[in-house]
Amino acid sequence: MTKGRGVKIDDDSQAAGRGIRQSMSSLHTWAALLLGWILYAMFLTGTVSYFKDELSQWMRPELSRLSEIPDQAVVAQRIANELGNTVPGTTQWSIRLPDARNNSAYVFWRTSARNPGQRAFGEGNFDPATGQKVASRDTLGGEFFFRFHFQFHYMPVVWGRWLAGAAAMFMLVAIISGVITHKRIFVDFFTFRWGKRQRSWLDAHNALSVFGLPFHFMITYTGLVTLMALYMPWGENVAFKTPAERQQLTAELSAFIPVGKATGQKVPLASVEDMVRQAQERWGRDNVARVNAVLPGDAAARVAVTRGEAGRVSMSPQYMEFEGATGKLLAVRDHVGPAAETRGVFYALHLGRFSDAVTRWLYFLVSFTGTAMVGTGLVMWTVKRRKNLPEPDRPYFGFRLVERLNIASIAGLSVAMTAFLWGNRLLPPPLEGRADLEINLFFFVWALTLLHALVRPARSAWVEQLWMASVLLFLLPVLNALTTQRPLWHSLVEGDWIFVVMDLMCWTLALLHAVLAMRTARQRAGAPSRRKANRQAPITVASSERAG
Amino acid sequence: MSHLLAFVLCLAGFAALAFAMHRQQREIIGRPLRSITTNVLRLGGACALLCALGVLVAWNGWSLGLVMFSGHTSLNAGIVYCTLLGYARMRE
Repeated sequence: MTKGRGVKIDDDSQAAGRGIRQSMSSLHTWAALLLGWILYAMFLTGTVSYFKDELSQWMRPELSRLSEIPDQAVVAQRIANELGNTVPGTTQWSIRLPDARNNSAYVFWRTSARNPGQRAFGEGNFDPATGQKVASRDTLGGEFFFRFHFQFHYMPVVWGRWLAGAAAMFMLVAIISGVITHKRIFVDFFTFRWGKRQRSWLDAHNALSVFGLPFHFMITYTGLVTLMALYMPWGENVAFKTPAERQQLTAELSAFIPVGKATGQKVPLASVEDMVRQAQERWGRDNVARVNAVLPGDAAARVAVTRGEAGRVSMSPQYMEFEGATGKLLAVRDHVGPAAETRGVFYALHLGRFSDAVTRWLYFLVSFTGTAMVGTGLVMWTVKRRKNLPEPDRPYFGFRLVERLNIASIAGLSVAMTAFLWGNRLLPPPLEGRADLEINLFFFVWALTLLHALVRPARSAWVEQLWMASVLLFLLPVLNALTTQRPLWHSLVEGDWIFVVMDLMCWTLALLHAVLAMRTARQRAGAPSRRKANRQAPITVASSERAG
Repeated sequence: MSHLLAFVLCLAGFAALAFAMHRQQREIIGRPLRSITTNVLRLGGACALLCALGVLVAWNGWSLGLVMFSGHTSLNAGIVYCTLLGYARMRE
C-alpha cells in the first residue's frame, strides 16, 4: 500500500527539486514558529474567554449568584437613577444588564476629564438588587483574559491589536500551507502511530488540526474580521466622507448613538423602565442586552435599548431608539445592509455569544484542541531538530531559544494563568489598585517561568513547570474553600453550578498537567533510541500492519 | 435532547467511517472487510452525519444549526480517534 509515502510528508526532504509541498512545508514551519508563542497565548486565553462571564462571577465571590434573572426593566431604572445621582454631568453611559450569565450589571460612562492622561471613561459593576456599585473585590475578572487575547497588555491598545492581527494573518498562512503540506489529510484521518516519537508528535499535531480544521480556519478568519476596520480603514475612508455618512456607518455597526450637541436645557430622563418594557415585549423578558444613553438629563437626550445575543448568529446591532426627555419611540433598527450583516455574522461566529451551554462547551473544547495544535506544533519544531543536532549536549543558539521559549510560553502560561486566579483569592480586597496588581502578578509569574526555563536544563524545566501548574490548579479549589464562603460542598448543596464546575475544571486541568508532566519525565529519560525510530518508520509501520 | 441525538449520530457516523478505512480494519479486526460491507459503513456513516445536521438545522435554523453541527463533528471525530488510539495502546 501507500503507507511509506505518508512518512515523508513533513520531513525536510533531501529530494532534488522542491515541489509545492516542500515549499509549503517550510512556509508552514517558519510562519507558524515566528509568532507561534503569541498565537499559543492568544489561543489559550481566547479559549477560556468563552467562559469569561462565568470566570468573572467566580472572581467576585462576594456577589451572590442570581437564582433567577431579575426583571431587566426594573434593574435598568434602578441603575439609571443611581447614575443620575453619582455621575450627573456625564454625556454618555451604557448599562449591560444582568442576564443568565451575569449576576451584576456592568456600566461605563464618559467622565468630564479632558486632560491628557486622565481616563475618558469610568466603569463599574452594579448590583441589580440595590442599583449601587457592588462592594466586591476590585478585579477585571475574566475580562482580562479576553482583552489580553487580542490586545495584550503593557502596550498601547492599537499596537496590541496590530500584533494580534499580524499573528492571526500568520496563523491563516500556517493553516493553508499546513493543509497543502499534508495532502493525505483525509486518508490518514484516524491514524496514529504511538510511541514513534517524531511521528506521534506529527500525528497528534495533524489530528488536532484536522478535527478542528473548520473551526480553526473560521476562528482565525473571523478574528481578523472583528478588527478589520482598524487593519484596513481605506475603503471606509473613501466611501464615507461627511460626518453624516460616518454617523450612518456607526449606526449600522453598533448601537452606540454618537453624542450630539447638548441644548443646555435641563430635562430629566423619562422612564427607562418603560423603554425597556417595550423592548421586552419585542424580544422577550430576558433578552435585552444594553441600555445606552447620551446626554442624559438634557433636552437632547437619546436612549438606545439593544437586543440580547442569545440564539442570534449575528452581532449586527438591533435596538430601539427613544427620545430621552419624553420616552417616545423614535426608531426600531432590526436589520442592516448585507455588507454590515456579513460582518455581523462573522463577528458573532468568533465570539460565540449566541450559544446555549452545550454549544459553548463545544466552542471551548474545539478551541482547546486549537491551543493544543499550536502547542504540539511548537514542540515538534524542537523534536524534529533534536535528532539532527551535531552536538546534542550543546545545541546551537536558535534551538535553545525556541526550546526555552516553548517551555515558558506553554507550561509557563498555565502557571501564570493559575497564579492570576490565586492572586484573586489572596490579595486583600481593600488594596489600592488591586485589579492591576492581579494582572501584574500574572506577568510577574510568567516572567519567572521564563527565567526558570532559562536556568534549568530543558527537560527538568518542562517537568517542574508542568508539575507546578498541576499543583496550583489542584489546590485552587482548596484555596477557594478556605478564603470564601463558597466551598465545593456548599456550592453542591446550593446548586451553585458556576463554582462547582470551576472547581471540577481545576481538578481536570490539574490531572491533564500531571499526565503531561509524567509523560515528559518518562519520555525524556529513555532518550537515545530516538534517532532511529524516525528513519525506520516505513518499516515499523509495515510490521505493525503484519502484526495486526 | 436534540444535542444528545446529534451527539450520538455524529459518534456513530464517525465510528462507521473509521471502520470503513482499510488500515483501521486491518489493525482492529485483523483482516480487510468485504468491499460491500465497507461501502455500507461508508454510506451509513455519511447518512448519520447528515441526519445529525438535519436534526440541528430543523431545531435551530441554518445559522445556529451549522455552528452546532461543526462543534459536534469536531468533538466526535476526536472521541472516535482517541478511542481507537486507546484500543491500539491496550493491545500493545
